[in-house]
Amino acid sequence: MTATQPLELLAPLSGVLLALDTVPDPVFSSRLIGDGLCIDPTSQTLCAPLAGVISNIQDSGHAVSVTDDNGVQVLMHIGLDTVNLAGQGFTRLVQEGQRVEVGQPLIEFDADYVALNARSLLTLVLVVSGEPFTVLANGLVEVGQPLMQVSPGEAIEATDEEEGDALFSKPLTLPNANGLHARPAAVFAQAAKGFNASIYLHKQTQSANAKSLVAIMALQTAHGDTLQVSAAGEDAEAAIKALVTLLVEGCGETVAAVAEAVEAVEAVSSATLLRGVCASPGSAFGQVVQVVEPELAITEQGAGEAAERAALQRGLLAATEALQALQAKAAGSAQAEIFRAHQELLEDPTLLEHAHRLLAEGKSAAFAWNSATVATAEQFKALGNTLLAERAADLADVGQRVLKLILGVQDSAWDLPERAILIAEQLTPSQTASLDTRKVLGFVTVGGGATSHVAILARALGLPAICGVSLQVLSLANGKQVLLDADKGELHLNPDLAEIERLEAARQQQTLRRQREVAQASLPATTRDGHHVEVTANVASLQEVEQSLTLGGEGVGLLRSEFLYLDRNRAPSPEEQAGTYTAIARALGAERNLVVRTLDVGGDKPLAYVPMEAETNPFLGLRGIRLCLERPELLREQFRAILASAGFARLHIMLPMVSLLSELHLARKILEEEAAALGLNELPKLGIMIEVPSAALMADVFAPHVDFFSIGTNDLTQYTLAMDRDHPRLASQADSFHPAVLRLIATTVKAAHAHGKWVGVCGALASEALAVPVLIGLGVDELSVSVPLIPTIKATVRELDLADCQIIARQILGLEEAAQVREALSQYHAATVESSSVLEH
Amino acid sequence: MFEKLQRAFWKALTPDLIAETVAAPVQNELSVGVLSALGGADNLKSQQRVALTRVRVQLQDAGRLDEQALKAAGVPGVMVLAGGVVHLITGL
Repeated sequence: MTATQPLELLAPLSGVLLALDTVPDPVFSSRLIGDGLCIDPTSQTLCAPLAGVISNIQDSGHAVSVTDDNGVQVLMHIGLDTVNLAGQGFTRLVQEGQRVEVGQPLIEFDADYVALNARSLLTLVLVVSGEPFTVLANGLVEVGQPLMQVSPGEAIEATDEEEGDALFSKPLTLPNANGLHARPAAVFAQAAKGFNASIYLHKQTQSANAKSLVAIMALQTAHGDTLQVSAAGEDAEAAIKALVTLLVEGCGETVAAVAEAVEAVEAVSSATLLRGVCASPGSAFGQVVQVVEPELAITEQGAGEAAERAALQRGLLAATEALQALQAKAAGSAQAEIFRAHQELLEDPTLLEHAHRLLAEGKSAAFAWNSATVATAEQFKALGNTLLAERAADLADVGQRVLKLILGVQDSAWDLPERAILIAEQLTPSQTASLDTRKVLGFVTVGGGATSHVAILARALGLPAICGVSLQVLSLANGKQVLLDADKGELHLNPDLAEIERLEAARQQQTLRRQREVAQASLPATTRDGHHVEVTANVASLQEVEQSLTLGGEGVGLLRSEFLYLDRNRAPSPEEQAGTYTAIARALGAERNLVVRTLDVGGDKPLAYVPMEAETNPFLGLRGIRLCLERPELLREQFRAILASAGFARLHIMLPMVSLLSELHLARKILEEEAAALGLNELPKLGIMIEVPSAALMADVFAPHVDFFSIGTNDLTQYTLAMDRDHPRLASQADSFHPAVLRLIATTVKAAHAHGKWVGVCGALASEALAVPVLIGLGVDELSVSVPLIPTIKATVRELDLADCQIIARQILGLEEAAQVREALSQYHAATVESSSVLEH
Repeated sequence: MFEKLQRAFWKALTPDLIAETVAAPVQNELSVGVLSALGGADNLKSQQRVALTRVRVQLQDAGRLDEQALKAAGVPGVMVLAGGVVHLITGL
């Protein structure tokens, strides 16, 4: 062992020393970037703590790293969240690649400006190359005073040798429960010495000479760490192969199921990134918390039918009470609804019959109940429909709740660590209800989709979430620091500082932007050149209507009437329906539009009180207006109820899924008859949804017979591209930005305007800020958007220029695919946002 | 209800953004020792908690500041800046 001289780092600033653990920023206190110290500065010039080369200096001047000739790399980061200052208050005195002397000034900063404009001045001094160090000072330090003593291991010495053609293994997850502590590290080093190649073991930014026991131990690896082996030299390939196998097998330690571990490692290979589908936007940097449900032991044989029957009864009763309590303290109406639905499941006759049959056969209460719920959930799943599959998850959740009560298993309240990113195969409503949401930063699940409970809950809480992530995510170690970028559907397992800071800054800007948008929500959505666009709300309840008005909604562009009575087993009475529509119309008032869509149900969206036969292809079956015309009494009754609200708001009735002109004629005839029967002399406006390509292509034929069109982009996209939006492989391509979809919108608008009719867009596309310029440019008159997004869409409109939008829309119709459209719009967006933020300054 | 919830989460997500706006109006009274080391209450133009660990004060006359007395009064770090601005480092 050739001992390298210990290296003294000099204080880069004067100030008060703090331990890294106390820094109120998890990126640093978690030591994700590296270990070191923190100085609360009293001087304003950051000086080099060691001689070396400037290996990196941020353009914004808030961070710099110096690497010495032995490879010791020290990162200095001035202040917290100072990346947001974008260089203001910092003056760089050196450049990347420049050689600097110890004590040489590197960055000057204006401490008062930073203190007033950033979160903190706390400055981090981190040994990112990972060598161990001792601290030489405490309390107050003066610039240039000895601060730390770094002991460069022999690891560093050999760095140069390896440069050039080092081979790298794929990243692997360390299976050893306590990391590579002395014994496994010795086994590993011994094996490495058997090769001539120079070999390194890498953990994030740190690396160690694989032939040095001390260096490996100094890496301080932990269970679940992602490691890589690199080697340079003749036998590099053989060395990597042998050492990777050794690591995976535990380096002589027994690791849980080696066979599985190997598989897992192969699966994890190259995984510094796991992908899923965005279920709720945003980003978060936090630590992994795996959510695991305990296995329940169920005995099949009962202790007498009467006793077991009573046990089941008690379990059901207790579960009902618990669910009622949960509804009372639910975090939002969405959650309360879920638990109310659960309570109804407890009274489901088929479920109870199934359980009682088994009880009669002498089975235990737990066994009978479990078999009944599992069998029914399987039936739900077997129907191959996403919405029903979600309900299967509900049933399993209720099943588990009752089962625990029967078995007397206590639900232990979760003791969550701070900044938790919850990872689960599937999170059930019961699990999320007992969650301390203050400690949760995000959700990652294997199952579920945009309609799952996790997605609904995450959106309600404004937390990021991704679904559909591969199973490997379940093998991540608890406590591992990860970066969740839900907007891109990504989970970064080895996030780097720049990425974390970028997302952090983006999130803060978004928060500020959001606050500004909400504050200005009542302003009209008028483009800079004076073109007004009506921004209305997509709603499914009176509560949402009221919320939309406080957020600046100018009316209701889509009332999803089928949602008003979703959890009913029986159709609501005509009076009840009329009452609901009238209440909504009154809330809006006579000056605002209310567009009521008639029942839009079908095989894909079943309604309990509208029984229908199973279809092999429900999306191409009896949906929307087709079903209503098949059961005209249902449509008649709904028309009557809607007409009762005439006069309280500007009433519009809209028919979904129209593909044939005859459907419109039939429905209009029924509406006219009902209006006449009620003695109304003025008909409400009648329009159709454009969500089938035939309707869009024939818009000029439909236009004379309607009062308005509203484009349902979700269905229009899936029918135009023949891709299921929920298809795991196709979902990403079933993109409403596809030029084919936009051309159909253009056709529709042209036809409508030629006949003096207005066109709205009520599909998800209208709620995307990115799409607003092209929709306005194509001539769309009304954007009906999801309630929370009203302020955003209105603010977006105000930033635009109609003339520009028309030009960009024309260009976009000529593009080849959705990705190109998004790219073009992103560029345009960046340009408009830039110029408008300049205006604000 | 929803708003309250929303606020709670924003607070959890962005403690700096919300906590500080709430904390700002509640001024930390400086101790008598600190005040006198700064040259007395009448020498104080303004005081403001900033950057998590600091109290930023503006003095009428920076010459009346006594750094030794400040340290004795329990302020570990002092940063004297231009224009009578002084940062007292009070810690987290």
